[in-house]
Amino acid sequence: MRHSKKINVLLVIVAAVIAYFCLIPLIFMVFTSFKGMSESISSSTLLPKIWTLDNYVQLLGDVATAPVFRWMLNTAVVTVLGTLSVLAVDVLAAYALSRLHVPFAGKIITMIVWVMTIPGIVTLFPSFYMFKNLGLLNGFVPLMLPYTSNAMGVFLIYNFLKDFPVALEEAAIIDGASLFTVLRKVIFPSIKPVVMTLGFITFLNIYNDYLWPSIVIQNNEMKTLTVGIGSLVMGANFVNPGVMMAATVFAVFPALVLFLMVNKYIVKGVTNVGIK
Amino acid sequence: MKISKFKSTMFLAPFLVCFGLFWLAPFVYGIYMSLHKLSLTRGNMGFSGLHNFLDLFNSESMYSEAFFLGLKNTVLFVLISVPLLILVSLLLALLVDNLPKKVQGLFRTIFFLSYAVSVTSVSAIFVWLFSGNGGFINNTLVRMHIISQPIPWLEAQPFAWIVLVITTIWWTIGFNMMLFINALNGIDTALYEASSIDGANYWNQFKSIVFPSIKSVFAFVALTTIIASFNVYGQPQLITKGGPTQSTKSLIMVIQQTIFDGNNLGMGTAMALVMGVVVMLFALAQNFLTREKKELKGDKQV
Repeated sequence: MRHSKKINVLLVIVAAVIAYFCLIPLIFMVFTSFKGMSESISSSTLLPKIWTLDNYVQLLGDVATAPVFRWMLNTAVVTVLGTLSVLAVDVLAAYALSRLHVPFAGKIITMIVWVMTIPGIVTLFPSFYMFKNLGLLNGFVPLMLPYTSNAMGVFLIYNFLKDFPVALEEAAIIDGASLFTVLRKVIFPSIKPVVMTLGFITFLNIYNDYLWPSIVIQNNEMKTLTVGIGSLVMGANFVNPGVMMAATVFAVFPALVLFLMVNKYIVKGVTNVGIK
Repeated sequence: MKISKFKSTMFLAPFLVCFGLFWLAPFVYGIYMSLHKLSLTRGNMGFSGLHNFLDLFNSESMYSEAFFLGLKNTVLFVLISVPLLILVSLLLALLVDNLPKKVQGLFRTIFFLSYAVSVTSVSAIFVWLFSGNGGFINNTLVRMHIISQPIPWLEAQPFAWIVLVITTIWWTIGFNMMLFINALNGIDTALYEASSIDGANYWNQFKSIVFPSIKSVFAFVALTTIIASFNVYGQPQLITKGGPTQSTKSLIMVIQQTIFDGNNLGMGTAMALVMGVVVMLFALAQNFLTREKKELKGDKQV
């Protein structure tokens, strides 16, 4: 919509004020991590009066309570492998359901739609008990694999593929291309935006998940960043907000950087999610 | 084009296996567990029929008391948070949509940014922003002489709810906003121009052009927001620890405590099943309401 210059200036000012308030918690986090203990609990300004690295020194020195680099490594493994498995499983399934005349394809799609309406809490604790009985708690398996049962991804890609013309694929197959080649060379380029969006959402979903990893992981060394920070907030060791914020900085920055990098690609893709 | 059934099923197989192992099996097993006397430390102590469910609806039982307290708190949170989460994100989306093209990307990114912060980090930050003793907000308000005594943000109601709702808005608003922005981008600008020439003001345009065009997105956002708010866990667990006096203890916190602190796994899974049914009923009701509205609006438009 076009507006007069005056209205434009006004709108930008309003947006800037809101943006400032949106950013305050993150600014507060960064600056507080550089404040000393006495300053941070009495301070009413964002910027530290005296800059100090003590919080980081204390945090990184206390590896027993807060092994942040180990948590980072765990998080990287779990989010990357978890997201890739979800994407692989979902793309293959959606391809089969929309193109390959799988037996009972219609019934499977109906089942997927029904399953999506059932809240995750219903299966959460039984899953935990099954992993416990199998002796698989405190490992990467329960941290990564359960996400592959998410039916939503299959449905998203299936919906996208359904409306996509098949002529090109048929031509490729007649030319002797294998199904995998078709999937890689013909299908994948066209579903890339949905796959990117699904990947982004799945990644953040795994990265942010708190309840599930916190019940399957008790061992401090195996925690993800999200669970680790949670245990620091719950614990009694961090009465110093500066140290707490230093730990939070470690947890926030990887995701934030990634977010800023892929943000551009996601904007378009989100449209396709959910609403057809 | 003929593809063997075996070949095509192999493409579907990984999903079917994962789905069977990590969804279907726990789902069926959960029903089985809810019908048994089961504890984490002592294992299965035998079939108990509907005992867990009957106990849950027996007002004398401590489980019933805990469950309905959690349900009441959670429904209250849903009722306060959902309208705000939808309204504020819609307003933000409208604001971004009306900004000059050059700065749209910048503000969209800033408003969406907090979505990438995990719930535990969000909670860590907001605990120290709102802490009653030495928290940044109290320090600032006192210094500016807006208040003379620190406000017990986390220790008294209604402040605890206010903090939880503000935290949730800050954390989750970006995603809903993105959905709305994308829906707004899809509206044909010629419609605005035509209606401006006809002398329509902004509110009229919103009522007769914008809202009807984003109705389906609106319904989708409402549905996902209701479900997300029902599942509230991290914020009350970490920020208010369920207090003051259990007033912000959410349903999932109750279930988790029943299983891990109360050592009653059978009852916990029964609670989770009942919670699942409640969430589905809310989702259905919402679906029904928006569908009704759609038809009414449809009539008017003609």
